[in-house]
Amino acid sequence: MKDVSPVIRVRVLFFGQLREFVGFGEEINDLPENATISDIFESYERRHPKLCEFRRSVVASRNQEFAPWDSTIAPGDEIAFLPPVSGG
Amino acid sequence: MNRATETQTSETGLFELTDDPLDTAAATAFVRGAGDGAIVAFDGFVRNQSHGRATQYLEYEAYKPMALGKLLEIGAQLHEKFAIHRVAILHRLGRLEIGETSVFIAVSAPHRAAAFDACRYAIDTLKRTVPIWKKEFFADGAVWADGELPPLPPNRKSAS
Repeated sequence: MKDVSPVIRVRVLFFGQLREFVGFGEEINDLPENATISDIFESYERRHPKLCEFRRSVVASRNQEFAPWDSTIAPGDEIAFLPPVSGG
Repeated sequence: MNRATETQTSETGLFELTDDPLDTAAATAFVRGAGDGAIVAFDGFVRNQSHGRATQYLEYEAYKPMALGKLLEIGAQLHEKFAIHRVAILHRLGRLEIGETSVFIAVSAPHRAAAFDACRYAIDTLKRTVPIWKKEFFADGAVWADGELPPLPPNRKSAS
């Protein structure tokens, strides 16, 4: 038997300037158990190195509520990365 | 293009995100009650310039389910904080031309002070916490509007 580490499948969303920067609005991502929202963002920073320049001006949400960066994720979560809001 | 409208209503609140022009008359009629003495409304519409550059049009994008949830939260806060009767908060999405209404808020109350205070609180809170984004289009390009970073809950480790 192979030793397969469990993965957590989540939906990741990007909006506004971030959506344009990464080139998509939504994707499914598999992460190791105990991963945090911060880990998810860092996985995208590896794909898009300049994304780290946005980090200070991004907030995250988990299941449509603002969430701290060290929130751990659960299977089926909807995680979104939100640039500064400008409605009105 | 498929146009969409998402609405949530209750006895005391009307909340809407829509690609269609906002029905401000219907929103005002919704909040008006026989026991009220005042309605205060805020009509935010598209300006023809931004920092001295001539705007051609705007595009609004939203994280729709979360944005609608945040509008409902604002409504609940208004009822907690102010002696109001009803509130309507509508936000337009998609492409908007100069002069078109992007956001409309109406608040009714028995007395004017609560309606003024609640309406001001609603638009200020919306601009800080509702996940909606505005892109401004000019003759020579487009930019995402400077926004406000919503307050984030502190990290769990530092919070404890």
